[in-house]
Amino acid sequence: MNNKIASRRVSHSRRRGQPVERDWRQHHNQGVWREVQEERRQESIPRGVCLSMCPIRELQDREAQNLLHRFEVLSGTERERWPRADPSGVVKEYARPAAGKDSTRPSDLRPPAVLLKTVFYLVDNIAASPTLRPWTEVYDFVFDRLRSVRQDMIIQRVSGADCVAVLERTVRFLIYASYRLCGEPLRLYDPRINDTHLQESLSWLLECYTSGKHPNQEEFQALGLLYNLGSSRATQHTMELPERIRSSPVMHLALSVSRAFMERNPVRLLRLAHSLDFLQSCALHRHLVTCRRDLLLIYSHGHSSKNCRFPLHKLSHILALDVPLTNQLCQAHGVEVHGDSVVFSKTTFTEPEAGKLQCAHFHDLVDRKQRDLTVGSIIHGCT
Amino acid sequence: MAHITINQYLQQVYEAIDNHEGSFCAELLSFKHPHVANPRLQLASPEEKCQQVLEVPYDEMVAAHLRCTYAVSNHDFVEAYKCQTLVVQYPFVMFAVTLDLRIFANNAEQQLLRKGKGKLGDMLEKAAEQLMGCFRVCASDNRAGIDDSKKWGMLFLINQLFKIYFKINKLHLCKPLIRAIDSSNLKDDYSMAQRVTYKYYVGRKAMFDSDYKPAEEYLSFSFQHCHRSSQRNKRMILIYLLPVKMLLGHMPNHQLLRKYDLMQFADVTKAVSEGNLLLLNEALAKHETFFIRCGIFLILEKLKIITYRNLFKKVYQLLKTHQLPLDAFLVALKMMQVEEVDIDEVQCILANLICEGHIKGYISHQHQKLVVSKANPFPLLSSSS
Repeated sequence: MNNKIASRRVSHSRRRGQPVERDWRQHHNQGVWREVQEERRQESIPRGVCLSMCPIRELQDREAQNLLHRFEVLSGTERERWPRADPSGVVKEYARPAAGKDSTRPSDLRPPAVLLKTVFYLVDNIAASPTLRPWTEVYDFVFDRLRSVRQDMIIQRVSGADCVAVLERTVRFLIYASYRLCGEPLRLYDPRINDTHLQESLSWLLECYTSGKHPNQEEFQALGLLYNLGSSRATQHTMELPERIRSSPVMHLALSVSRAFMERNPVRLLRLAHSLDFLQSCALHRHLVTCRRDLLLIYSHGHSSKNCRFPLHKLSHILALDVPLTNQLCQAHGVEVHGDSVVFSKTTFTEPEAGKLQCAHFHDLVDRKQRDLTVGSIIHGCT
Repeated sequence: MAHITINQYLQQVYEAIDNHEGSFCAELLSFKHPHVANPRLQLASPEEKCQQVLEVPYDEMVAAHLRCTYAVSNHDFVEAYKCQTLVVQYPFVMFAVTLDLRIFANNAEQQLLRKGKGKLGDMLEKAAEQLMGCFRVCASDNRAGIDDSKKWGMLFLINQLFKIYFKINKLHLCKPLIRAIDSSNLKDDYSMAQRVTYKYYVGRKAMFDSDYKPAEEYLSFSFQHCHRSSQRNKRMILIYLLPVKMLLGHMPNHQLLRKYDLMQFADVTKAVSEGNLLLLNEALAKHETFFIRCGIFLILEKLKIITYRNLFKKVYQLLKTHQLPLDAFLVALKMMQVEEVDIDEVQCILANLICEGHIKGYISHQHQKLVVSKANPFPLLSSSS
């Protein structure tokens, strides 16, 4: 046995002579310890000092390279060869992090107060502007610049009330946009991209709510539930919220809507939807397509009889649509309409052809709620 | 074990490795083994000692393990977890070591949360990534013979991963694992204990996806084959099996509920079979916290449909006619104190029951009546689900 140990010692020293393997393992182990040191170096989190909506360097660069956006150009210089930048209108744009590019320079980062100011500018002067057109272009600009704001927040690890104030407006904007631009051609607006960013911002916001007190929490928990209607994950999350939040009137209503959806009671759901405010209706609206389809399906089976007639006006009342639209919806689902009566039959119901039904045609229920609300008040939440 | 010196310990490890005694070696690296309580082994920097006795890569692994015992003795679970991640990289002592990894990740999380740092689920997610690494090694093990094959480790690892994914609420990550086992030819040859655990999680996943028939199969298997002495495990399985069975129309009896201390389900069961919506709502509210914590509150809410069906069946039995006025159902619902329900909603509920196959018949809006089939208008629940 002693021989064995002796020979081991020899082989070890031979191995020690080979630096590569040893170094690799040490480096790898250090990788694990790196995290410990990371936490200890709190002071190394970047802190921005840029006090304008756009870092000077970027403004100068984009102006020189003629890369300013239409909304950032000094009025009167639009037609010139090199339009001049309007310092009160240039906003830092989103840039993908790239190798060799330092995104943590303090002069390029905006502190939380400036970020909030930027968001206010984007909402009040751009999104809510009565003159800037078309709104798809307004959306593109605000979407991108808000993304840059979030990026600055991530790099600086912003949290708490500052973070919440930015995210709440972001979520309201994206929800409003999901409704207003619903039906626009894909090249102008992509609902999936909007959805991805909306879900990310919403998750982040709900995460922020887990510490500290936030007066708008119920509003956003409800919006999250309505937007994600039918999702087990979202519903389970809501069930795990503290009792006092769940029992607030706005949550109570959202939960009732959710329950009606889960129980497949579209009549109840559509009736409850009347009580939702404008933004909540925007959050819910894409599920109304499923809801109405469910209603026609259920009724096709439940009222399936050759001799029976169901009044068209009654159906349109339940569907919360006017008569011509009800007619259109029935036709798309293979439901027979004879004059002012509907003949339900379980054999004739069909799913509509892909792309045939445009959600945007059936926006009545939501449209009516907008009334005198301004875009600004919708996004700031002062309705 | 509690008194040996570091040299004696290392000697034992060395011999175990040399003689290919995998299970003994695993014990020497497991936290269930008494050696971890030995203060002579709890060293902050045992690397040199390990290098003297053991070969690469075992010297590193054991050194990490010893650092881990040191960390645990100081109740520093974050540190312990970090050390354990190093140990876990060596697959042949997988079982004990990965189990400890998960447990440390859990403890580390609790510690971090108490200190107010770290996001819930971060540590566990990282542990899961490590385990997935081990899993890939096992799954791709095509070289060794069937006895030696690392594939035997697969089910154990998968069960560990399931536990983590359920805890951090990322159930969609279970799918590729389930597919891997389904396509494996070893699936029925694993130990019963592992298969019971596996089916328990797959059953819960199926429940979550609203696939109640498969969920019932998996959970029933799990319950029947769970060892008689594991009362606690049997109870856990029942918590999920009961709602599924109820949705399929099978109500549990009181004996079963009392035996496994699950009387929370008693009122729910009574309410559903009697068609008593009022009692159902009260029962769900009363035990809300328990049901939500187990993640079954939403499924139990689905029992409402069954309850409506049972209530309406009573109306039918009372009126003894095949042409039932819709008003009768509205009255029944109002008696159950269902909020703000009107005749339109009654129609919708009835239409839904017909659509789901729980009632055979049709509604005549003009006559405001439900006309039911003369033969078996309320088919048995298990046949229509």
